[in-house]
Amino acid sequence: MDDQACPRCKTTKYRNPSLKLMVNVCGHVLCESCVDLLFLKGSGTCPDCNILLRRGNFRVQLFEDPMVEKEVDIRKRVLRDYNKKEEDFATLRDYNDYLEEIETIVYNLTNNIDVVETNKRIEQYKKENKELIMKNKAKIGREAVQLEEVLEKEKELEELRRQELSRLEQEAKKQKIREKEALIDELMFADGDAKDILNTFAQNMANKQEELASAVPLVTQFSSGVQFTRGASNQPIPIIEEGPLYKYEPLAVPDRCGPDAPSIANIVNCGYLKHVRAENECEKAGGYSATLPCLRALQDALAGLYHAS
Amino acid sequence: MEEPILRYEKIDFLGEGQFATVYKAKDVKTDKIVAVKKIKIGSRLEAQDGINRTALREIKLLQELQHINLIGLLDVFGQKSNVSLVFDFMDTDLEIIIKDNTIVLTPANVKAYMIMTLKGLEYLHQNWILHRDLKPNNLLINREGILKIGDFGLAKAFGSPTRINTHQVVTRWYRAPELLFGARQYGTGVDMWAVGCILAELLLRVPFLPGETDLDQLSRIFQVFGTPTEENWPGMKSLTDYVQFKQFPAQQLRHIFSAASDDLIILLESLLSLYPPKRCDCTQALQMTYFSNKPAPTVGTKLPMPSNITKMEAEKPSLKRKLLDNIDGGSLAKRLQF
Repeated sequence: MDDQACPRCKTTKYRNPSLKLMVNVCGHVLCESCVDLLFLKGSGTCPDCNILLRRGNFRVQLFEDPMVEKEVDIRKRVLRDYNKKEEDFATLRDYNDYLEEIETIVYNLTNNIDVVETNKRIEQYKKENKELIMKNKAKIGREAVQLEEVLEKEKELEELRRQELSRLEQEAKKQKIREKEALIDELMFADGDAKDILNTFAQNMANKQEELASAVPLVTQFSSGVQFTRGASNQPIPIIEEGPLYKYEPLAVPDRCGPDAPSIANIVNCGYLKHVRAENECEKAGGYSATLPCLRALQDALAGLYHAS
Repeated sequence: MEEPILRYEKIDFLGEGQFATVYKAKDVKTDKIVAVKKIKIGSRLEAQDGINRTALREIKLLQELQHINLIGLLDVFGQKSNVSLVFDFMDTDLEIIIKDNTIVLTPANVKAYMIMTLKGLEYLHQNWILHRDLKPNNLLINREGILKIGDFGLAKAFGSPTRINTHQVVTRWYRAPELLFGARQYGTGVDMWAVGCILAELLLRVPFLPGETDLDQLSRIFQVFGTPTEENWPGMKSLTDYVQFKQFPAQQLRHIFSAASDDLIILLESLLSLYPPKRCDCTQALQMTYFSNKPAPTVGTKLPMPSNITKMEAEKPSLKRKLLDNIDGGSLAKRLQF
């Protein structure tokens, strides 16, 4: 603790208890007043490594080792783009390789190994996975919002529960006072033995205590079921009624007053297509097929053959 | 025969589209509530065939089609130089239900809507007709919870080897990639793609691929499904309006529809295959495990309804909606509605 000191002004925690050490992306430490002084204009260079830094990027040091601080920073930046999830990979092996790659990149950047090369690699990755990165970002954003909502809900419930509890407590207190007053009244005005009165009072109290104890578990109902009501509170919950399951029934073929036309399979296999102009490449690509006019012509030809006036 | 105009008693004005005005009316003969669509005369160019082309298509096709999940054309009558079409009266449509954020759509609701849509479409395709304008706005729903496919203004017979079709069909957000690439010969795949987009919209409650231009639409599609290559879409480069796109990687539908069950994802992937011949047809779709698995589809009467319909009869949903649409910009040009 005592050896926490600003490398520039040499102030230590011992001499100035309100000393706050700050770090930036390069990982070098400065105290708050030095930062104020050096970065008056918003940006400047690090006195240690001469890297150009922005004042806004300074934050309070969380870890004693500035290297850890730097690594955290780099990791945060890398993970912004390397945001694939396990579901995005076919096998666990792929996922592990991917995690390994992230570690390598972070390590390289922290220890200044092949910085240019590694940055190139990140750029390359960004370009290749632009779509997925965007999608995952949106997904993470959504999840964060949902999580926040859930937390908010829980907080509300907590507040409600607290109010309920304090209300109950006050009620109980009032009740107790009332009972005591009743007892005193009884002792004052009743003709019975004071001992008897005290005894029945004690008994009543014990009974009440028991009742309370058995009633307590009901309160815990609140704590769960948060997600079930989320977002649906102002909408009518549809009543699910089971009808019969659907079963496909072929369309009734209209009575064409003639023999049935062959099926598509027969048209293809039995050589009917030899007599029809085959579809060309362009027509096929548009979804047209020679079987269509063939079947239609056959249907037309056969319809009405049995017709008798 | 009695004068038809006397048979239908106008109750209410429902809405106005580009080609027609729609009224709610009562059929005096049967006491049924119907929707009367009065076709506007329009310019000489529009009336090349003597009558507005979309109206002609509706009359021509709907007269011969009978299915519980297709809008029923009950009557057609002319008065002076006007033509009016009489349809089943429908209380609402899927777009209103999707946009109404007081309605909770359960997986069972979604399944029920999909089954009704696909059954109607299966019948249509079996009769060699493409709808070519499927979107939530055209899936009409009545208070019994029965969904009917409506607006046949762009519908057309398919399966002709020589006839060239236009690729300028289907509202952009629901338009299949082959149409965006300018295919002139296509099949049922264009409707199936739209069904896939509608299913996605039912899950997301916002349009799945809201492209701002045709090119933007394609790039949105490829951003999700990956840019197709000559391997997974043979012949793609031979399509008239083919343009080279940046290579996007395909995304996992599971990540977009995180709440969807596995069997639903399989259906979606099949409906939204980039290569048209790989897309399933209605029959194949209805046979998928998603439909036979639990949860069972909601029975019609239990399906959710917008509150203004269940509460007040006299409310005018379409007019109200028009006002609402104007407020938030009304990004899509409104087509006919009845």
